[in-house]
Amino acid sequence: MLRKITLFVALVFFAVSCSTSKQSISLLYKDYRIEKQTKTDSALVKMLQPYSVSMNASMNKVIGFSNDNLNKKQPESGLGNFMADAMLVMAEKKFRKKIDGAFMNDGGIRSYIPKGNITTGKIFELMPFDNLVVVQDVKGSVLQQFLDKTAADGGWPVSKGITMGIKEKKAVNISINGKPLDNNATYSIVNSDYVAGGGSDCTMLKGIPFLNRGYLLRDALIEFVSDLTKQGKPLDFTIEKRVVNVN
Amino acid sequence: MLINRRKFLQQAGMAGGAIAAASVLPAAAHTAGIRRITILHTNDVHSRLDPFPMDGSRNQGMGGVTARGAVIEEIRNEGGEVLLLDAGDIFQGTPYFNMYKGEPEIKAMTMMGYDASTMGNHDFDGGLENFATQLQHAKFPILISNYEFSGTPMESKFQPYKIFQKGDLKIGVLGVGIELRGLVPENLYGKTVYTNPIEAANQSADALRKKGCDMVICLSHLGDKYDDDKISDEILAKETYDIDLIIGGHTHRFFEEPRKYRNRRGNDTIVNQVGWAGIQLGRLDYTFSGSQKKNLSNANTVVIRKKTRE
Repeated sequence: MLRKITLFVALVFFAVSCSTSKQSISLLYKDYRIEKQTKTDSALVKMLQPYSVSMNASMNKVIGFSNDNLNKKQPESGLGNFMADAMLVMAEKKFRKKIDGAFMNDGGIRSYIPKGNITTGKIFELMPFDNLVVVQDVKGSVLQQFLDKTAADGGWPVSKGITMGIKEKKAVNISINGKPLDNNATYSIVNSDYVAGGGSDCTMLKGIPFLNRGYLLRDALIEFVSDLTKQGKPLDFTIEKRVVNVN
Repeated sequence: MLINRRKFLQQAGMAGGAIAAASVLPAAAHTAGIRRITILHTNDVHSRLDPFPMDGSRNQGMGGVTARGAVIEEIRNEGGEVLLLDAGDIFQGTPYFNMYKGEPEIKAMTMMGYDASTMGNHDFDGGLENFATQLQHAKFPILISNYEFSGTPMESKFQPYKIFQKGDLKIGVLGVGIELRGLVPENLYGKTVYTNPIEAANQSADALRKKGCDMVICLSHLGDKYDDDKISDEILAKETYDIDLIIGGHTHRFFEEPRKYRNRRGNDTIVNQVGWAGIQLGRLDYTFSGSQKKNLSNANTVVIRKKTRE
Protein backbone atom coordinates (compact mmCIF):
# COMPACT_ATOMS: atom_id res chain seq x y z
CA MET A 1 0.00 0.00 0.00
CA LEU A 2 2.73 2.37 1.03
CA ARG A 3 4.49 1.52 -2.21
CA LYS A 4 1.32 2.31 -4.17
CA ILE A 5 0.96 5.70 -2.47
CA THR A 6 4.57 6.48 -3.11
CA LEU A 7 4.10 5.55 -6.73
CA PHE A 8 0.95 7.68 -6.90
CA VAL A 9 2.72 10.68 -5.35
CA ALA A 10 5.62 10.17 -7.71
CA LEU A 11 3.24 10.07 -10.67
CA VAL A 12 1.43 13.22 -9.53
CA PHE A 13 4.75 14.95 -9.03
CA PHE A 14 5.86 13.83 -12.46
CA ALA A 15 2.63 15.00 -14.08
CA VAL A 16 2.71 18.37 -12.34
CA SER A 17 6.34 18.98 -13.05
CA CYS A 18 5.78 17.95 -16.62
CA SER A 19 2.96 20.38 -17.25
CA THR A 20 4.38 23.29 -15.33
CA SER A 21 8.07 22.95 -15.97
CA LYS A 22 9.00 25.38 -18.62
CA GLN A 23 12.13 24.93 -20.59
CA SER A 24 14.73 27.60 -20.29
CA ILE A 25 16.49 28.58 -23.42
CA SER A 26 19.74 30.39 -23.79
CA LEU A 27 20.43 32.41 -26.86
CA LEU A 28 23.84 33.71 -27.82
CA TYR A 29 23.87 36.24 -30.60
CA LYS A 30 26.65 37.61 -32.72
CA ASP A 31 26.76 39.88 -35.77
CA TYR A 32 29.50 39.27 -38.28
CA ARG A 33 30.54 42.36 -40.20
CA ILE A 34 31.22 41.15 -43.72
CA GLU A 35 34.32 43.07 -44.73
CA LYS A 36 37.11 42.81 -47.21
CA GLN A 37 39.19 40.01 -45.82
CA THR A 38 41.92 37.66 -46.76
CA LYS A 39 39.51 34.79 -47.04
CA THR A 40 37.08 34.59 -49.91
CA ASP A 41 35.14 31.63 -51.19
CA SER A 42 36.91 30.64 -54.40
CA ALA A 43 33.91 28.81 -55.88
CA LEU A 44 31.80 31.96 -55.50
CA VAL A 45 34.57 34.11 -57.00
CA LYS A 46 34.63 31.80 -60.01
CA MET A 47 30.84 31.76 -60.38
CA LEU A 48 30.60 35.55 -60.22
CA GLN A 49 33.49 36.40 -62.51
CA PRO A 50 31.85 36.16 -65.96
CA TYR A 51 28.86 38.17 -64.73
CA SER A 52 30.99 40.94 -63.23
CA VAL A 53 33.39 41.25 -66.20
CA SER A 54 30.52 41.81 -68.57
CA MET A 55 28.67 44.10 -66.15
CA ASN A 56 31.69 46.28 -65.38
CA ALA A 57 32.36 46.75 -69.09
CA SER A 58 29.06 48.60 -69.43
CA MET A 59 28.80 50.16 -65.97
CA ASN A 60 32.25 51.68 -65.45
CA LYS A 61 31.80 54.42 -68.06
CA VAL A 62 32.40 57.84 -66.47
CA ILE A 63 29.60 60.28 -67.35
CA GLY A 64 30.24 63.15 -64.93
CA PHE A 65 31.80 64.48 -61.75
CA SER A 66 30.30 65.33 -58.37
CA ASN A 67 31.79 68.10 -56.21
CA ASP A 68 30.57 66.44 -53.06
CA ASN A 69 29.38 63.22 -51.43
CA LEU A 70 25.62 63.21 -51.93
CA ASN A 71 23.66 61.14 -49.44
CA LYS A 72 20.00 60.52 -48.80
CA LYS A 73 18.56 62.59 -45.96
CA GLN A 74 15.22 63.98 -44.79
CA PRO A 75 13.59 66.46 -44.94
CA GLU A 76 15.98 67.61 -47.71
CA SER A 77 19.25 66.49 -49.30
CA GLY A 78 21.55 67.56 -52.10
CA LEU A 79 21.05 64.10 -53.56
CA GLY A 80 17.26 64.51 -53.59
CA ASN A 81 17.52 68.00 -55.07
CA PHE A 82 19.68 66.64 -57.89
CA MET A 83 17.16 63.91 -58.66
CA ALA A 84 14.07 66.15 -58.52
CA ASP A 85 15.75 68.84 -60.64
CA ALA A 86 16.91 66.27 -63.19
CA MET A 87 13.33 65.01 -63.47
CA LEU A 88 12.00 68.54 -63.96
CA VAL A 89 14.61 69.63 -66.50
CA MET A 90 14.52 66.43 -68.53
CA ALA A 91 10.70 66.19 -68.47
CA GLU A 92 10.41 69.74 -69.82
CA LYS A 93 12.74 68.74 -72.66
CA LYS A 94 11.11 65.40 -73.36
CA PHE A 95 7.48 66.49 -73.07
CA ARG A 96 8.05 70.06 -74.42
CA LYS A 97 5.86 71.35 -71.65
CA LYS A 98 6.21 73.80 -68.75
CA ILE A 99 6.39 71.81 -65.52
CA ASP A 100 5.49 73.31 -62.14
CA GLY A 101 7.20 70.75 -59.97
CA ALA A 102 8.92 67.38 -59.90
CA PHE A 103 9.03 64.99 -56.98
CA MET A 104 11.06 61.97 -55.98
CA ASN A 105 9.73 59.44 -53.52
CA ASP A 106 12.19 59.17 -50.67
CA GLY A 107 11.94 55.38 -50.57
CA GLY A 108 12.89 55.26 -54.24
CA ILE A 109 16.35 56.73 -53.60
CA ARG A 110 18.36 53.54 -53.36
CA SER A 111 21.96 54.67 -53.14
CA TYR A 112 24.29 57.68 -53.05
CA ILE A 113 26.67 59.63 -55.28
CA PRO A 114 30.27 59.73 -54.04
CA LYS A 115 32.49 62.75 -54.53
CA GLY A 116 34.42 62.35 -57.77
CA ASN A 117 33.68 60.54 -60.99
CA ILE A 118 30.10 59.45 -61.61
CA THR A 119 29.77 56.19 -63.54
CA THR A 120 26.72 54.78 -65.28
CA GLY A 121 26.75 52.04 -62.64
CA LYS A 122 26.34 54.62 -59.86
CA ILE A 123 23.17 55.92 -61.49
CA PHE A 124 21.90 52.35 -61.86
CA GLU A 125 22.39 51.84 -58.12
CA LEU A 126 20.73 55.15 -57.34
CA MET A 127 17.73 54.31 -59.53
CA PRO A 128 17.69 50.56 -60.12
CA PHE A 129 13.97 50.45 -60.91
CA ASP A 130 12.70 50.71 -64.45
CA ASN A 131 10.40 53.55 -63.42
CA LEU A 132 9.22 56.04 -66.04
CA VAL A 133 9.03 59.84 -65.91
CA VAL A 134 5.38 60.86 -66.32
CA VAL A 135 3.44 64.13 -66.19
CA GLN A 136 0.07 64.68 -64.53
CA ASP A 137 -2.14 67.78 -64.47
CA VAL A 138 -3.58 68.01 -60.97
CA LYS A 139 -5.75 70.42 -59.00
CA GLY A 140 -4.04 72.46 -56.31
CA SER A 141 -6.13 70.66 -53.70
CA VAL A 142 -4.79 67.30 -54.92
CA LEU A 143 -1.24 68.67 -54.89
CA GLN A 144 -1.83 69.74 -51.28
CA GLN A 145 -2.90 66.17 -50.36
CA PHE A 146 0.12 64.79 -52.16
CA LEU A 147 2.50 67.17 -50.37
CA ASP A 148 0.82 66.30 -47.06
CA LYS A 149 1.67 62.68 -47.77
CA THR A 150 5.34 63.61 -48.44
CA ALA A 151 5.34 65.62 -45.21
CA ALA A 152 3.93 62.69 -43.22
CA ASP A 153 6.79 60.62 -44.65
CA GLY A 154 9.33 63.09 -43.29
CA GLY A 155 9.87 65.00 -46.53
CA TRP A 156 10.42 63.99 -50.15
CA PRO A 157 12.73 65.75 -52.58
CA VAL A 158 11.07 68.59 -54.51
CA SER A 159 12.40 70.44 -57.55
CA LYS A 160 13.78 73.98 -57.61
CA GLY A 161 11.03 76.58 -57.33
CA ILE A 162 9.06 74.72 -54.67
CA THR A 163 9.43 75.42 -50.96
CA MET A 164 7.40 74.02 -48.11
CA GLY A 165 7.43 73.43 -44.39
CA ILE A 166 6.49 70.29 -42.46
CA LYS A 167 4.36 70.86 -39.41
CA GLU A 168 2.61 68.07 -37.53
CA LYS A 169 3.01 65.79 -40.55
CA LYS A 170 1.29 68.29 -42.87
CA ALA A 171 2.69 70.45 -45.67
CA VAL A 172 2.52 74.16 -44.77
CA ASN A 173 3.68 77.48 -46.33
CA ILE A 174 3.77 75.86 -49.76
CA SER A 175 5.18 78.13 -52.43
CA ILE A 176 5.34 77.24 -56.12
CA ASN A 177 7.49 79.47 -58.30
CA GLY A 178 7.08 82.33 -55.87
CA LYS A 179 3.30 81.99 -55.37
CA PRO A 180 1.37 80.27 -52.59
CA LEU A 181 -0.34 77.01 -53.55
CA ASP A 182 -3.79 77.74 -55.02
CA ASN A 183 -6.27 74.95 -54.35
CA ASN A 184 -8.26 75.80 -57.48
CA ALA A 185 -5.36 76.18 -59.91
CA THR A 186 -4.09 73.33 -62.11
CA TYR A 187 -0.46 72.26 -61.84
CA SER A 188 1.65 70.12 -64.17
CA ILE A 189 3.67 67.82 -61.98
CA VAL A 190 6.26 65.14 -62.65
CA ASN A 191 6.55 61.89 -60.76
CA SER A 192 7.65 58.35 -61.50
CA ASP A 193 4.88 56.23 -63.01
CA TYR A 194 5.05 54.25 -59.76
CA VAL A 195 4.02 57.23 -57.62
CA ALA A 196 1.62 58.65 -60.23
CA GLY A 197 -0.11 55.26 -60.28
CA GLY A 198 -0.72 55.37 -56.53
CA GLY A 199 2.50 53.71 -55.32
CA SER A 200 4.05 54.64 -51.94
CA ASP A 201 0.43 55.07 -50.80
CA CYS A 202 -0.14 58.08 -53.07
CA THR A 203 -3.78 57.16 -53.56
CA MET A 204 -4.69 60.80 -54.31
CA LEU A 205 -2.81 60.52 -57.64
CA LYS A 206 -4.22 57.15 -58.65
CA GLY A 207 -6.61 57.35 -61.59
CA ILE A 208 -5.44 60.81 -62.74
CA PRO A 209 -4.35 60.34 -66.39
CA PHE A 210 -0.66 60.84 -67.11
CA LEU A 211 1.53 61.59 -70.11
CA ASN A 212 3.98 58.78 -70.71
CA ARG A 213 6.73 58.70 -73.34
CA GLY A 214 8.34 55.50 -72.05
CA TYR A 215 11.17 57.67 -70.68
CA LEU A 216 13.07 55.86 -67.93
CA LEU A 217 13.78 57.92 -64.81
CA ARG A 218 17.26 56.40 -64.80
CA ASP A 219 17.85 57.63 -68.36
CA ALA A 220 16.68 61.10 -67.30
CA LEU A 221 19.34 61.09 -64.53
CA ILE A 222 22.06 59.82 -66.88
CA GLU A 223 21.18 62.39 -69.57
CA PHE A 224 21.00 65.23 -67.03
CA VAL A 225 24.50 64.41 -65.73
CA SER A 226 25.85 63.93 -69.27
CA ASP A 227 24.41 67.31 -70.34
CA LEU A 228 26.12 69.04 -67.40
CA THR A 229 29.41 67.36 -68.34
CA LYS A 230 29.05 68.53 -71.95
CA GLN A 231 28.68 72.08 -70.60
CA GLY A 232 31.84 71.56 -68.56
CA LYS A 233 29.89 71.64 -65.28
CA PRO A 234 30.17 69.28 -62.32
CA LEU A 235 27.23 68.07 -60.25
CA ASP A 236 26.94 70.71 -57.53
CA PHE A 237 23.95 70.20 -55.26
CA THR A 238 23.38 71.04 -51.65
CA ILE A 239 20.43 71.77 -49.38
CA GLU A 240 18.80 75.16 -49.83
CA LYS A 241 15.75 75.14 -47.54
CA ARG A 242 13.35 73.72 -50.09
CA VAL A 243 11.78 71.51 -47.42
CA VAL A 244 12.15 72.45 -43.75
CA ASN A 245 10.69 71.23 -40.48
CA VAL A 246 8.56 73.93 -38.80
CA ASN A 247 7.93 73.84 -35.10
CA MET B 1 14.71 20.42 -10.53
CA LEU B 2 13.52 23.39 -12.54
CA ILE B 3 15.81 25.72 -10.64
CA ASN B 4 18.72 23.38 -11.15
CA ARG B 5 18.12 23.25 -14.84
CA ARG B 6 17.88 27.02 -15.05
CA LYS B 7 21.02 27.39 -13.01
CA PHE B 8 22.78 24.96 -15.26
CA LEU B 9 21.69 26.85 -18.35
CA GLN B 10 22.76 30.16 -16.87
CA GLN B 11 26.15 28.71 -16.21
CA ALA B 12 26.17 27.21 -19.65
CA GLY B 13 25.25 30.62 -21.02
CA MET B 14 28.09 32.29 -19.21
CA ALA B 15 30.40 29.61 -20.47
CA GLY B 16 29.23 30.17 -24.01
CA GLY B 17 32.71 29.83 -25.37
CA ALA B 18 33.13 26.47 -23.74
CA ILE B 19 29.84 25.20 -25.17
CA ALA B 20 30.85 26.45 -28.62
CA ALA B 21 34.10 24.54 -28.32
CA ALA B 22 32.20 21.43 -27.20
CA SER B 23 30.07 21.56 -30.32
CA VAL B 24 33.03 20.36 -32.32
CA LEU B 25 32.24 17.08 -30.59
CA PRO B 26 28.47 16.86 -31.01
CA ALA B 27 28.33 13.56 -29.14
CA ALA B 28 29.45 15.24 -25.93
CA ALA B 29 26.63 17.73 -26.18
CA HIS B 30 24.09 14.92 -26.67
CA THR B 31 25.11 13.02 -23.58
CA ALA B 32 24.69 16.18 -21.53
CA GLY B 33 21.09 16.39 -22.79
CA ILE B 34 21.78 19.76 -24.40
CA ARG B 35 20.58 20.55 -27.86
CA ARG B 36 22.07 23.32 -29.93
CA ILE B 37 21.33 24.92 -33.24
CA THR B 38 23.10 27.81 -34.96
CA ILE B 39 20.83 30.01 -37.04
CA LEU B 40 22.58 32.24 -39.57
CA HIS B 41 20.56 34.88 -41.32
CA THR B 42 20.52 37.75 -43.79
CA ASN B 43 17.82 40.08 -45.14
CA ASP B 44 17.48 42.71 -47.87
CA VAL B 45 20.74 41.78 -49.58
CA HIS B 46 19.45 43.64 -52.67
CA SER B 47 21.71 42.13 -55.33
CA ARG B 48 24.83 43.22 -53.43
CA LEU B 49 27.03 40.48 -54.88
CA ASP B 50 30.22 42.56 -54.77
CA PRO B 51 31.32 44.55 -51.71
CA PHE B 52 30.48 48.27 -51.72
CA PRO B 53 33.15 50.02 -53.81
CA MET B 54 36.10 51.78 -52.14
CA ASP B 55 34.82 55.29 -52.87
CA GLY B 56 34.98 56.88 -49.43
CA SER B 57 31.34 56.10 -48.70
CA ARG B 58 30.04 54.84 -45.39
CA ASN B 59 29.86 51.17 -46.34
CA GLN B 60 32.93 50.93 -48.53
CA GLY B 61 34.43 47.46 -48.69
CA MET B 62 31.49 45.94 -46.80
CA GLY B 63 29.41 42.99 -47.92
CA GLY B 64 29.89 40.75 -50.93
CA VAL B 65 29.08 37.09 -51.39
CA THR B 66 32.65 35.82 -51.62
CA ALA B 67 33.48 37.13 -48.14
CA ARG B 68 30.11 36.08 -46.71
CA GLY B 69 30.57 32.61 -48.18
CA ALA B 70 33.93 32.31 -46.43
CA VAL B 71 32.49 33.38 -43.05
CA ILE B 72 29.62 30.88 -43.41
CA GLU B 73 32.10 28.14 -44.28
CA GLU B 74 34.14 28.89 -41.15
CA ILE B 75 31.05 28.65 -38.99
CA ARG B 76 30.03 25.36 -40.62
CA ASN B 77 33.52 24.04 -39.90
CA GLU B 78 32.86 24.47 -36.17
CA GLY B 79 30.84 21.29 -36.66
CA GLY B 80 27.47 22.23 -35.15
CA GLU B 81 24.05 22.12 -36.76
CA VAL B 82 23.49 25.20 -38.95
CA LEU B 83 20.34 26.64 -40.51
CA LEU B 84 21.00 29.43 -43.05
CA LEU B 85 18.01 31.69 -43.77
CA ASP B 86 17.09 34.86 -45.65
CA ALA B 87 14.10 37.16 -45.10
CA GLY B 88 13.62 38.43 -48.66
CA ASP B 89 14.50 41.30 -51.01
CA ILE B 90 17.18 39.17 -52.58
CA PHE B 91 16.77 41.21 -55.76
CA GLN B 92 17.25 44.79 -56.93
CA GLY B 93 19.82 47.41 -56.08
CA THR B 94 22.90 46.85 -58.21
CA PRO B 95 23.30 46.66 -62.01
CA TYR B 96 23.70 42.90 -61.61
CA PHE B 97 19.95 42.73 -61.27
CA ASN B 98 19.28 45.06 -64.21
CA MET B 99 21.52 42.93 -66.42
CA TYR B 100 20.96 39.36 -65.23
CA LYS B 101 17.54 39.53 -63.54
CA GLY B 102 18.60 37.73 -60.37
CA GLU B 103 20.41 34.70 -61.76
CA PRO B 104 23.79 35.24 -60.01
CA GLU B 105 22.02 36.18 -56.73
CA ILE B 106 20.12 32.88 -56.62
CA LYS B 107 23.15 30.88 -57.74
CA ALA B 108 25.27 32.46 -54.97
CA MET B 109 22.67 31.64 -52.30
CA THR B 110 22.50 28.06 -53.52
CA MET B 111 26.29 27.76 -53.37
CA MET B 112 26.38 29.17 -49.83
CA GLY B 113 23.87 26.48 -48.86
CA TYR B 114 20.88 28.59 -47.89
CA ASP B 115 18.17 26.39 -46.38
CA ALA B 116 15.24 28.71 -47.13
CA SER B 117 14.15 32.24 -47.98
CA THR B 118 10.92 34.15 -48.06
CA MET B 119 9.85 36.74 -50.65
CA GLY B 120 10.31 40.48 -50.29
CA ASN B 121 8.44 43.14 -52.23
CA HIS B 122 11.45 43.75 -54.49
CA ASP B 123 11.58 40.09 -55.46
CA PHE B 124 8.57 40.98 -57.63
CA ASP B 125 10.58 43.66 -59.47
CA GLY B 126 11.39 41.55 -62.51
CA GLY B 127 7.82 40.26 -62.56
CA LEU B 128 6.56 37.00 -61.06
CA GLU B 129 7.43 35.08 -64.21
CA ASN B 130 11.07 36.15 -63.81
CA PHE B 131 11.20 35.22 -60.12
CA ALA B 132 9.77 31.79 -60.89
CA THR B 133 12.27 31.38 -63.74
CA GLN B 134 15.28 32.30 -61.57
CA LEU B 135 14.21 29.70 -59.00
CA GLN B 136 15.46 27.02 -61.40
CA HIS B 137 18.90 27.95 -59.97
CA ALA B 138 17.72 27.55 -56.37
CA LYS B 139 18.29 24.45 -54.28
CA PHE B 140 16.35 26.00 -51.40
CA PRO B 141 12.61 26.59 -51.03
CA ILE B 142 10.74 29.91 -51.03
CA LEU B 143 8.51 29.88 -47.94
CA ILE B 144 5.47 32.13 -47.82
CA SER B 145 2.23 31.52 -45.94
CA ASN B 146 0.22 34.64 -46.75
CA TYR B 147 0.47 35.02 -50.53
CA GLU B 148 -1.89 33.02 -52.72
CA PHE B 149 -0.29 32.41 -56.08
CA SER B 150 -3.08 30.50 -57.86
CA GLY B 151 -3.04 31.26 -61.58
CA THR B 152 0.43 32.86 -61.43
CA PRO B 153 3.86 31.53 -62.50
CA MET B 154 4.66 31.01 -58.78
CA GLU B 155 1.75 28.59 -58.30
CA SER B 156 3.91 25.46 -57.90
CA LYS B 157 7.14 27.21 -56.86
CA PHE B 158 6.58 27.96 -53.19
CA GLN B 159 5.63 26.30 -49.91
CA PRO B 160 3.89 27.85 -46.88
CA TYR B 161 6.43 26.20 -44.56
CA LYS B 162 9.03 23.47 -44.31
CA ILE B 163 10.41 21.24 -41.59
CA PHE B 164 14.19 20.83 -41.26
CA GLN B 165 15.66 17.94 -39.31
CA LYS B 166 18.90 19.19 -37.74
CA GLY B 167 20.52 16.54 -35.56
CA ASP B 168 17.73 15.42 -33.26
CA LEU B 169 15.99 18.77 -33.54
CA LYS B 170 12.99 19.31 -35.73
CA ILE B 171 12.86 22.96 -36.83
CA GLY B 172 9.79 24.35 -38.58
CA VAL B 173 10.27 27.39 -40.80
CA LEU B 174 7.51 29.49 -42.35
CA GLY B 175 7.44 32.82 -44.18
CA VAL B 176 5.26 35.92 -44.36
CA GLY B 177 5.28 38.84 -46.80
CA ILE B 178 4.20 42.44 -46.75
CA GLU B 179 1.00 43.98 -48.20
CA LEU B 180 1.62 44.43 -51.93
CA ARG B 181 -1.05 46.98 -52.80
CA GLY B 182 0.38 50.51 -52.78
CA LEU B 183 3.93 49.12 -52.55
CA VAL B 184 4.46 46.90 -55.57
CA PRO B 185 3.10 47.95 -58.99
CA GLU B 186 0.02 45.90 -59.84
CA ASN B 187 1.41 44.73 -63.17
CA LEU B 188 4.26 43.04 -61.27
CA TYR B 189 2.32 41.14 -58.63
CA GLY B 190 -0.55 40.30 -60.98
CA LYS B 191 -2.97 37.79 -59.51
CA THR B 192 -1.05 37.34 -56.26
CA VAL B 193 -3.45 37.62 -53.31
CA TYR B 194 -2.15 38.96 -50.00
CA THR B 195 -3.83 37.59 -46.88
CA ASN B 196 -3.48 38.59 -43.22
CA PRO B 197 0.07 37.61 -42.19
CA ILE B 198 -0.76 37.12 -38.51
CA GLU B 199 -3.55 34.65 -39.22
CA ALA B 200 -1.49 32.87 -41.87
CA ALA B 201 1.60 32.73 -39.64
CA ASN B 202 -0.38 31.42 -36.67
CA GLN B 203 -1.99 28.73 -38.83
CA SER B 204 1.35 27.59 -40.25
CA ALA B 205 3.02 27.71 -36.82
CA ASP B 206 0.17 25.65 -35.35
CA ALA B 207 0.55 23.08 -38.11
CA LEU B 208 4.31 22.93 -37.53
CA ARG B 209 3.84 22.49 -33.78
CA LYS B 210 1.33 19.69 -34.36
CA LYS B 211 3.84 17.99 -36.63
CA GLY B 212 6.17 17.89 -33.64
CA CYS B 213 8.54 20.75 -34.33
CA ASP B 214 10.84 21.64 -31.45
CA MET B 215 11.17 25.18 -32.65
CA VAL B 216 9.22 27.40 -35.06
CA ILE B 217 10.93 30.17 -37.03
CA CYS B 218 9.14 32.78 -39.11
CA LEU B 219 10.93 34.51 -41.98
CA SER B 220 9.24 37.88 -42.27
CA HIS B 221 9.39 40.71 -44.74
CA LEU B 222 6.86 42.79 -42.79
CA GLY B 223 9.30 45.28 -41.24
CA ASP B 224 10.31 45.47 -37.57
CA LYS B 225 7.91 48.21 -36.38
CA TYR B 226 6.09 51.33 -37.47
CA ASP B 227 4.71 54.54 -35.96
CA ASP B 228 1.19 53.57 -36.97
CA ASP B 229 -0.72 50.28 -36.65
CA LYS B 230 0.73 48.75 -39.84
CA ILE B 231 1.42 45.06 -39.28
CA SER B 232 5.04 44.55 -38.20
CA ASP B 233 7.27 41.94 -36.60
CA GLU B 234 6.57 43.59 -33.25
CA ILE B 235 2.82 43.10 -33.68
CA LEU B 236 3.29 39.58 -35.05
CA ALA B 237 5.52 38.65 -32.10
CA LYS B 238 2.89 39.76 -29.59
CA GLU B 239 0.03 38.10 -31.50
CA THR B 240 1.66 34.76 -32.14
CA TYR B 241 1.12 31.55 -30.18
CA ASP B 242 3.79 29.25 -31.47
CA ILE B 243 6.54 31.24 -33.18
CA ASP B 244 9.80 31.21 -31.23
CA LEU B 245 11.87 33.37 -33.54
CA ILE B 246 11.12 35.94 -36.24
CA ILE B 247 13.90 36.67 -38.73
CA GLY B 248 12.86 40.06 -40.07
CA GLY B 249 13.61 42.39 -42.96
CA HIS B 250 12.24 45.21 -45.13
CA THR B 251 13.07 48.09 -42.75
CA HIS B 252 16.85 47.63 -43.20
CA ARG B 253 17.34 47.92 -39.44
CA PHE B 254 20.61 46.94 -37.77
CA PHE B 255 19.47 45.62 -34.40
CA GLU B 256 21.83 46.24 -31.49
CA GLU B 257 20.64 42.93 -30.07
CA PRO B 258 17.70 40.59 -30.67
CA ARG B 259 14.39 41.96 -29.35
CA LYS B 260 12.24 39.95 -26.98
CA TYR B 261 8.45 40.06 -26.82
CA ARG B 262 5.87 38.24 -24.74
CA ASN B 263 3.57 36.29 -27.04
CA ARG B 264 -0.05 35.08 -26.65
CA ARG B 265 1.03 32.09 -24.58
CA GLY B 266 3.09 34.29 -22.28
CA ASN B 267 6.29 32.89 -23.74
CA ASP B 268 9.16 34.74 -25.34
CA THR B 269 9.23 35.40 -29.06
CA ILE B 270 12.52 36.79 -30.34
CA VAL B 271 12.90 39.14 -33.32
CA ASN B 272 16.16 39.89 -35.10
CA GLN B 273 17.18 41.78 -38.24
CA VAL B 274 20.62 42.54 -39.70
CA GLY B 275 20.32 45.73 -41.75
CA TRP B 276 20.74 45.18 -45.47
CA ALA B 277 23.11 44.59 -48.40
CA GLY B 278 24.83 41.64 -46.74
CA ILE B 279 26.84 44.06 -44.56
CA GLN B 280 26.16 41.74 -41.64
CA LEU B 281 25.48 38.08 -41.14
CA GLY B 282 23.39 37.39 -38.05
CA ARG B 283 24.19 34.43 -35.84
CA LEU B 284 21.86 33.05 -33.18
CA ASP B 285 23.07 30.06 -31.16
CA TYR B 286 20.13 28.44 -29.41
CA THR B 287 20.82 26.03 -26.58
CA PHE B 288 17.97 24.26 -24.90
CA SER B 289 17.78 21.63 -22.26
CA GLY B 290 16.74 18.04 -22.84
CA SER B 291 13.63 17.87 -20.68
CA GLN B 292 10.73 15.49 -21.33
CA LYS B 293 9.14 18.04 -23.59
CA LYS B 294 11.41 19.23 -26.33
CA ASN B 295 8.91 21.81 -27.42
CA LEU B 296 10.46 25.27 -27.42
CA SER B 297 7.06 26.85 -26.92
CA ASN B 298 7.27 25.43 -23.42
CA ALA B 299 9.97 27.93 -22.62
CA ASN B 300 8.68 30.95 -20.81
CA THR B 301 11.98 32.75 -20.91
CA VAL B 302 14.81 33.04 -23.32
CA VAL B 303 18.03 34.31 -21.79
CA ILE B 304 19.80 36.40 -24.42
CA ARG B 305 23.50 37.12 -24.28
CA LYS B 306 26.06 38.43 -26.69
CA LYS B 307 28.44 35.78 -27.93
CA THR B 308 31.77 37.22 -26.96
CA ARG B 309 34.14 34.39 -27.68
CA GLU B 310 34.50 31.85 -30.45
